[in-house]
Amino acid sequence: MSDRRRWRAIRTVMHRDLLEFVRDQRTLFVTLLMPMAMYPVLALASTLGLRTALSDLEARQAPRPLAVALSGPDATAFAKRIETAARGEDGKPDNWPSGLSVKVCDPIAAQMLIDEGEMHAWLHLPAGTVAALDGRETVPLEARTSAVQPVDARRQEHIVAVVQAVARDARRRRIAAEGLPASVFEPVSLTFAGGPKAGGGASMDGVLPTAAGGVLVLLALLTATGAFYPAIDAIAGEKERGTIETLLIAPASTGDIVAGKFLAIWAVAIVTLLVNALSIAATAAVLVRFIPAGFNLGVDAPRAATAAGITLVAFLGLAAVAAAVCLAVTSGSRSGKEAQNTLTPVILLVSGLSASALLPGTGGTPFAVVPFAGQVALARDALAGVAGGTLAAHLTISLAASAVVTWLLLRAAATAIADEELLFRGPDSVGSPFARPAPRRRPTAMQGFAVALIAFASLWYAQGLAVEDLVLAVPSQQAALILPLVAVRLWQRVDRRETFGLRLPAGSRWPLAAGGGLLVGAGLFVVVAAATLALRGTHLSAAARELAQRILDLLLSRPWWLGWLLIAVVPAICEELFFRGWLLAAAAGDAPERRRAVAVVFLQAAVFAAFHLLPERMPQTFALGVALGWMTLATGSLLPAILAHLAHNSVPLVLARYAAEGHGKRLVAGDASNLSGWLVVAAAAATLVGLCLLAACRRPTAPSAPDAVGRH
Amino acid sequence: MIRADGLVKHFRAADGTLIKAVDGVSLTVHPGEMVGLLGANGVGKTTTMRMLATLLSPTAGTASVGGSDVRTDPLGVRRRLGYLSATTGVPDRLTPGEVLASFGRLHGLEETAIADRVASLVAALGLASCEHRPCGRLSTGQRQRVSLGRALVHDPPALVLDEPTSGLDAVGARDLLDLLERMRSEGRAVLVSTHRLHEIERRCDRFLIIHSGRILDERSRDELAGLTGGLEAAFFATLARGDDA
Repeated sequence: MSDRRRWRAIRTVMHRDLLEFVRDQRTLFVTLLMPMAMYPVLALASTLGLRTALSDLEARQAPRPLAVALSGPDATAFAKRIETAARGEDGKPDNWPSGLSVKVCDPIAAQMLIDEGEMHAWLHLPAGTVAALDGRETVPLEARTSAVQPVDARRQEHIVAVVQAVARDARRRRIAAEGLPASVFEPVSLTFAGGPKAGGGASMDGVLPTAAGGVLVLLALLTATGAFYPAIDAIAGEKERGTIETLLIAPASTGDIVAGKFLAIWAVAIVTLLVNALSIAATAAVLVRFIPAGFNLGVDAPRAATAAGITLVAFLGLAAVAAAVCLAVTSGSRSGKEAQNTLTPVILLVSGLSASALLPGTGGTPFAVVPFAGQVALARDALAGVAGGTLAAHLTISLAASAVVTWLLLRAAATAIADEELLFRGPDSVGSPFARPAPRRRPTAMQGFAVALIAFASLWYAQGLAVEDLVLAVPSQQAALILPLVAVRLWQRVDRRETFGLRLPAGSRWPLAAGGGLLVGAGLFVVVAAATLALRGTHLSAAARELAQRILDLLLSRPWWLGWLLIAVVPAICEELFFRGWLLAAAAGDAPERRRAVAVVFLQAAVFAAFHLLPERMPQTFALGVALGWMTLATGSLLPAILAHLAHNSVPLVLARYAAEGHGKRLVAGDASNLSGWLVVAAAAATLVGLCLLAACRRPTAPSAPDAVGRH
Repeated sequence: MIRADGLVKHFRAADGTLIKAVDGVSLTVHPGEMVGLLGANGVGKTTTMRMLATLLSPTAGTASVGGSDVRTDPLGVRRRLGYLSATTGVPDRLTPGEVLASFGRLHGLEETAIADRVASLVAALGLASCEHRPCGRLSTGQRQRVSLGRALVHDPPALVLDEPTSGLDAVGARDLLDLLERMRSEGRAVLVSTHRLHEIERRCDRFLIIHSGRILDERSRDELAGLTGGLEAAFFATLARGDDA
């Protein structure tokens, strides 16, 4: 078919779908009305909240009247000292009361007065107190307050201010009595000269980009939501109405149909993005008018304009990925309801990825390729005033990554849209959702996804509640990962051997595969650490430094085998059973074809990296996940992956134990800056040799089922 | 014009059972001929027609429409075929005019030709009164006529119609079948399936009776004319023979 005719078909599908979208009230609501109303409502609510909080703060900080009762033989003399001190204060300090009254009385009356709330504090002044003030000792004073009528914190500050004023007066008297000048206790006097006087307001520089991060995450989420209903309507809705068949029998390829639908959904997502951006800009313009004069936002107009431009361009890529994700997911659904159920976790994923850009340590070149997170990080960096050249490079990388991800997702959608099973076949059986399924060889993709979701939530809670001591924290985290898996495995009755690859690789040549796994794991740690160092530099976040310190403490303060068991052995077994066992088996299915195998290896590696929760360790864990996934699929056994994982986690422990003072922590955190170049070269060679050994142990490709059916 | 030779389609159920939906169907429909494909529910009529329309790919066998093979030239098949089934719908938020025009564009018609074609179809199918109303607001009969218009918009030489009268009242069904007869008389090859045997008994040139994925009997209208009980008797006799086998 000619390009002109193909483009006409794409345009026709796009035009047809756009007509349907704009006539759908749900789409219009999500695209136009929600953003127009949401930001003003959010801004109004936050402004009101802020104003109330400021009023409360102001009320709490306002000076109050203070009444003090004095008793004892020196009460009258002390009252005079208070009067003199109050007069002698040049400028009243911030915590000075709005009015001060002093009453001299006997102790019984003083107690009654404070208990009745007429006086706020009571000072008992024995004979000689005032004389001692003029002497050389420190005079102990006790301000009594009532247990019946407790005095508030602000009045306690006033009492301190009054007593400090008396003390300053006493200091002046003592200096004068010694015949010394007043300057003896003021050795330095500082004044400012030269530049203009600084504004009275606090600077928001550095704070605004962080605060704006929340809005950027919301913008990413709403842009994705803009694609939500159109995507459901475009594929699953058409299947439900029976109109998808009419498109599939038109003389256009599935790729062209998907392209047309994608353009329509992308257009809606872009409109959602623009309306949201306009609403944010208008709301911000209104909010700026309420900022007090002299309050420095820390972002000038040119920088704000540049940031807005970069954000919009980067978010065009985000909108494309969102549209493609929604389209790919709904292509695999038979009905609108099924599509809605499947898209909900996707929106959760989008929120998680977008919000991950706000974590410390995120940003930089590798992060720019991550969909949703990369665009939010880029917009945040633009607002923070990162150099133009760096921003341009990251923007280019982000757009290129978005294009690649979008293209891959559209390919998947084009395959799924014409899938005969999804087009024409309903469920094969019906039953209770809690009915125990028949035994099967491997978990389904849905089972893999569900367990990953449960384990992630469980790991999150375990992490939040974890104790400081790694001896307890590591087992609890690994248990959080493995226990949901054990429960689901027992319920679902999948084959243990098939799912978890519980077999020796390559028959009698299994030692070769085991050696290959060990070499790859050990070498990969050093190689990826060196590569990450070259790309990202040596900066480590506080969280990474803290974790490294805890690991190092464990290594140095406990027996070596305990640290090795907790950091290397237990994670190697538990995480491999989970990621390369359950998750990989669920995603790959039986004998996956080459493209699917590549996709699932990368997918499980991404999940593996995300589970490590620390963004700066993600490149290392992602690379390890890819290698482990590949070797498991290639050999059909989990053993090489377990050994590789074990070696990978053992290397930094061994190096750190014998490293020079101060270098150990950096090594544990994955910073190879103090490793020699020769070690890196040796590690690269070990990795290559390991990969060759594993490649030699690949299992033969499984023959396809004799009755396999499918599109020709 | 429409030809199938040993068409086979197998599905596999979740429990691993092999389902032989179509098991070696061969048929031919010549230009200017209307052939009825008859059978009970679930015997393979729709699956056969979907393979002819390139919606399903055959497990074995070959099929072609107007010389284009369903496997090697599916786009060629789609250009030459008008397909309609009981499950094909129309977009709720588009008007009949918009539906017909968009499919005219997908079939590569020029903009000027599209306007003329839509106008003539709207008139021929009796859709003038609802041309600008959203399809979601139309009656079942009107929607079915829009579907038929969509299948005819590119003026195809072959038609595959799976229960086209389903959901239509007697008048609507009669009008639609009259239209199909006109299509046949214009030289188109028409393959039609229906459960209402009396509707097509005097309209089709030949009848194919399918059972358990196989064509068990083939009769011409002339052969049926001499048979006591007509098409209905032949149909039930064939089914009984199929069950015994």
